[in-house]
Amino acid sequence: MADRSHIVKSYEQELGQLRSMMSQMGGIVENQVALALSAIADRNEEAADAAARQDPDVDELEREVESLAIRLLALRSPMASDLREIVAALKITGDLERIGDYASSIARRSLRIRGADGQISLSGLRSMGRLVQDNLRRSIDAITQQDSNRAMEVWHADRAVDEYYTALFRELVTYMMEDPRNIRACTELLFIAKNLERIGDHATNIAERVFYAVTGDNLPAVRPRGAPATADTSEQPDR
Amino acid sequence: MNETKPQVALAVRNLNFYYGQNHALHDISIDFPARKVTAMIGPSGCGKSTLLRIFNRMYDLYPGQRATGEVIFDGRNILETGLDLNILRARIGMVFQKPTPFPMSIYDNIAFGVRLHERLNKADMDVRVQDVLTRVALWNEVRDRLNAPAAGLSGGQQQRLCIARSIATRPEVLLLDEPTSALDPISTARIEELLDELKEEFTIAIVTHNMQQAARCADQVAFFYMGRLIEVDAADRIFTNPKQQQTQDYITGRFG
Repeated sequence: MADRSHIVKSYEQELGQLRSMMSQMGGIVENQVALALSAIADRNEEAADAAARQDPDVDELEREVESLAIRLLALRSPMASDLREIVAALKITGDLERIGDYASSIARRSLRIRGADGQISLSGLRSMGRLVQDNLRRSIDAITQQDSNRAMEVWHADRAVDEYYTALFRELVTYMMEDPRNIRACTELLFIAKNLERIGDHATNIAERVFYAVTGDNLPAVRPRGAPATADTSEQPDR
Repeated sequence: MNETKPQVALAVRNLNFYYGQNHALHDISIDFPARKVTAMIGPSGCGKSTLLRIFNRMYDLYPGQRATGEVIFDGRNILETGLDLNILRARIGMVFQKPTPFPMSIYDNIAFGVRLHERLNKADMDVRVQDVLTRVALWNEVRDRLNAPAAGLSGGQQQRLCIARSIATRPEVLLLDEPTSALDPISTARIEELLDELKEEFTIAIVTHNMQQAARCADQVAFFYMGRLIEVDAADRIFTNPKQQQTQDYITGRFG
């Protein structure tokens, strides 16, 4: 935020600690998503394991951020930009934790698409993965740099993710219709695509919260959205 | 007062104030909405108490202090000469930081001010005293000792008595200068609760150093700095998203 410091130094330090935990958490989650995507694209089992192994760290950080934020609210009575930043951190930490869960879920599913994936092109999923990764990186940059322009970019870019998802959905359904032996792998891929789409949504949530924390204004309630897929494939990953 | 109550109780226009050579308020313009609580915040010496004291012409007591501009109250500029200050002060009551009970009984503390403006018989005066003491939630605590000296009350009770005394003359505006800064948290909460009830009927202007208090009690908050009005807005706006950097710095504790 503004480079003006609080008169109370310990307050300033606690805010600094909150920011550093947020960026640490963002870094881990970003890494988890990268590993999960590598698990699919490079058929990398180790990456899949590594992605899932980081979940407890993310959960732990989420708890720490929550307790620090509550402490700050209770003891410092933050106002204005401080208040917005702390409340945003409280919510962003939840978004990051969910993203971590989706990444683990993708990593686990990547192990189940072995064998059948020869006949199925993964290029669409890879592209979608890159786009989501890019949005996530930008939203995490927006957090660490408190950059509302960056946040705005992410918010606008989510439409492309939705469109990818819709296209992938059609593609995978086509594979399944062509050959029932594809159904198992395609179902997993469909869930992976849905998880990616959800990661994109959470990245957008983060962008909205950063935008509010920085500017004090809300982005419009209605997001730019792509065309919806024709069936609901929403799935909740394991917590 | 009738159904066509004014929306703005006090309208300040281009107000300047001088303590001798010292230009204490610079070109202040602000509205105090009727039956709302307006809190004035700002560092010591910013002019917020000065503004409060102008509203009931307290400064007339001191030579060398003068105001220019307008403060419109009930269609009239209260800075004009020839205004009956006793009537003005009955219509715009004031409560100070330290409780200031008169050295007389609890009953007489309230009856004293009323007698200056109204002739009430004993029965009507009794009703008035009970009414205002009930409204400040003091009646149950003092009903059995109305003739005891007010000095025997606790600080919080004394402050509620002073508020009762101010509203006993049925003012339209109530000015409070740091009314709870000498009180414990429970007494403070009682006063804040009281403000919530009193604003149904009175326009309230409160000066406070306690930001949380301003956030809790006020509908509108004005931030003053070095004799200037920096920003005035709805309380939730000021405390979540102030427009001016100076306001932001002050309320977040970054003021250098």
